[in-house]
Amino acid sequence: MLEKECIQSRGFRNVVNQGKNTGFQFNIRSLYYRGLWLSQLRPATITVDGETFSGNQITWTINDITYEQEEMLTLGNVHWGLLEPATLTVRKEGGLKPGSHDIELTYQYSSSYFPPSMDTLLSSAPYNRTLILVQ
Amino acid sequence: MNNELKKECKPKRGVSLYSYNGDYGVSMNLEDMFSEMNDIGARGLEILANSHIEGYPNPSKEWLQNWDRLIEKFDIVPVEYGHWVDSRLYQGREITSEESLIMLERDFKIANRLGFTVLRTKLGVIDDDLTPVTNWREFIKMALPIAEKYNVRMCPEIHAPTLLKSKMVKEFVEFIEETGTKYFGLNIDFGVFQTNYLEASEFGPDDFIMPQGDHSEVEDVIPLLPYVYCCHAKFIKMSEDCEEVTIPYEKIIKTLIEHNWDGYMLSEYEGPHAKVTGYASTQIRRQHIMMKKLLGE
Repeated sequence: MLEKECIQSRGFRNVVNQGKNTGFQFNIRSLYYRGLWLSQLRPATITVDGETFSGNQITWTINDITYEQEEMLTLGNVHWGLLEPATLTVRKEGGLKPGSHDIELTYQYSSSYFPPSMDTLLSSAPYNRTLILVQ
Repeated sequence: MNNELKKECKPKRGVSLYSYNGDYGVSMNLEDMFSEMNDIGARGLEILANSHIEGYPNPSKEWLQNWDRLIEKFDIVPVEYGHWVDSRLYQGREITSEESLIMLERDFKIANRLGFTVLRTKLGVIDDDLTPVTNWREFIKMALPIAEKYNVRMCPEIHAPTLLKSKMVKEFVEFIEETGTKYFGLNIDFGVFQTNYLEASEFGPDDFIMPQGDHSEVEDVIPLLPYVYCCHAKFIKMSEDCEEVTIPYEKIIKTLIEHNWDGYMLSEYEGPHAKVTGYASTQIRRQHIMMKKLLGE
């Protein structure tokens, strides 16, 4: 089972490549009532302790496959289900220091059955959570 | 024998798993939701393909085996399979009729495998009046023989603010009559009959509040009934003494019984606090006490 919040506490950690911290990651679940095709998602923006990341600084990993945000807009046949947490990985040299971090996540999604003027109305972002990173 | 037939010819009870969306994956899984339905004697099931099929659109063999087991264990009748033709799948353009057809056929196959015979086919819309995409006739017509092959009926949902006496519904009915098809019909959402509205103070800060608008008269459904393959028993609030306070259920169910409509009414809770753990389950239990009473069960 998942935690009720969008931003999950399990999965928050630094990303280590060849002995160096190259970024950090955390898991999210979708709070929308239906799963989405990746092309229906709009690129995420993440702010941690006041520093904002967007575009190609962020990747999404869904079912063990990692996607660049730009690429996702073209993927109308890859599905993100409600029971599948997505891992958001943020490129940041040095990663984050151990301790408490305030995370804010914004991403939107399209709903074709809503009027075009309200295409992303159901997206209830931003999502906030304070999480503790150990390593 | 006659008596028995007569007895059977009335609406049946079911639940749309949409109702439990605040609990799904957090405090309830598929088995819990089926168990809840079994408790209240609601046999008819609606799932949302994108929500409730793990690994959609390619569920694993193990998931399918578990599905079959749960359907049998909890005596569930798969009724309606909710799916979408997402016209704005790609930013900046609408998908073509051919692309729409591919989406439809993919869902027909899964629905058929899972035992569903009715589809809640959600079409993309092009304006604030919820007018469906301009090419719907084209791709639905292309899909009709495939729907027949997989024994599924595509049903757009007639949902507030759309009225039953509207251009949209008229055009759907004209399409059914012109093609003579039995594989395209309607799902009526009882929210179209809503006459009362809750005070804004009854809703929580994150709740979706349906704007107030015109409603349809209950008798407007009568001429449509031959094309209605199932209904969403939309509800907003059940009082503690098990009365729905915004939608005229007594009149709706009486009308359906009088006209021998024997499809499923699938509970769809869309009131306040829908995301609060256990809230929707309580509301649905109360609603089924009301529906049982009105059905004479």
